[in-house]
Amino acid sequence: MESTQFNTQILNHSDKLFRLAKSILRNADTAQDAVQELIMKLWEKRKQLDVVENMQAFMMRSMRNLCLDTIRQQHDEDELPVEFEYVEPNPYQQTEQKDLALRIHMMIDNLPELQRTVIRMRDVEGMELSEIAYITSLTENAVSVNLSRARQKIRDQIINEQKKVEETVWK
Amino acid sequence: MEMMNELLEKYFRGETTLQDEKELKQYFSTGNVSSEHEIYRALFDVFRQELSETNVRPVSVALPDQKRIKRTWIQTFAFTGIAATLILLLWIQLPQYSDNYAVIGGTRINNAEYVQRYTEKKLTRVNHMLARSMKPMQSFSKVRKNMQPLQNLSDVRTKMDEIQNKLQFK
Repeated sequence: MESTQFNTQILNHSDKLFRLAKSILRNADTAQDAVQELIMKLWEKRKQLDVVENMQAFMMRSMRNLCLDTIRQQHDEDELPVEFEYVEPNPYQQTEQKDLALRIHMMIDNLPELQRTVIRMRDVEGMELSEIAYITSLTENAVSVNLSRARQKIRDQIINEQKKVEETVWK
Repeated sequence: MEMMNELLEKYFRGETTLQDEKELKQYFSTGNVSSEHEIYRALFDVFRQELSETNVRPVSVALPDQKRIKRTWIQTFAFTGIAATLILLLWIQLPQYSDNYAVIGGTRINNAEYVQRYTEKKLTRVNHMLARSMKPMQSFSKVRKNMQPLQNLSDVRTKMDEIQNKLQFK
């Protein structure tokens, strides 16, 4: 693959790669580093890229694997839990997080990695289930299950928050 | 309304197609959202908002293209060669403004023609002087030439001695 071809086919996807990396790593700086690292790795193996049929899916899959490796490394070094469940904000936090959009953003961020990756690839990037299945190394059925679980969790949390807001108003 | 309810239920069960989801996104992006669906508006806003997020750090490939390296080296060699040739040609073609002069009798002379004539005159004189000095030598060679028959005398003497020796024995 020539440098111009590399630029058009790979560097143009950097925003999409960044969003995926940020979703998995939950940190913009680390996500930017991960994107740069992936681009460098792909550049080194650019001769092998000519045989790749779906470049976007291949890159997203590589990005996810690299991010998961980064999380594993951090986990080994820091001995911190990789995933943490969504904890409802206390009243003080609720007043601070007035913006519902921000709270939903946090709800998605606090989903297990697979669920948040799947929901973002589908609802933000608008990707086909088959592509998501390839990226996550799952079956399409497993992707559907994870997607519905993720959406259902978010829905439940939104409804719960709405109820609390209504209760506060009525009091 | 009923249709939108069904679509939303399908959406949360993970059964919607991309086209269905496109319709939902369009519905929530307009100001015409039913009050019972208003609760989900923020969710679709977040999706739209996240899609507009970009990588602010420019992604670059630090490693240079191998072909470009080769081309650069070839160009460098070519340019160096051309530059060297040009410098050489200029050095050959340009008139040499050197400080050539001669000192005659303690005086610095820049006139090349004068110096040439002066040198020729002096060399002629040296030639005459040499010729005069070589005259005695020419006489020597004449003497040597005239002495040649005397060398033959020694040969005659040797032969006479031989003959005499032979006669005595007999």
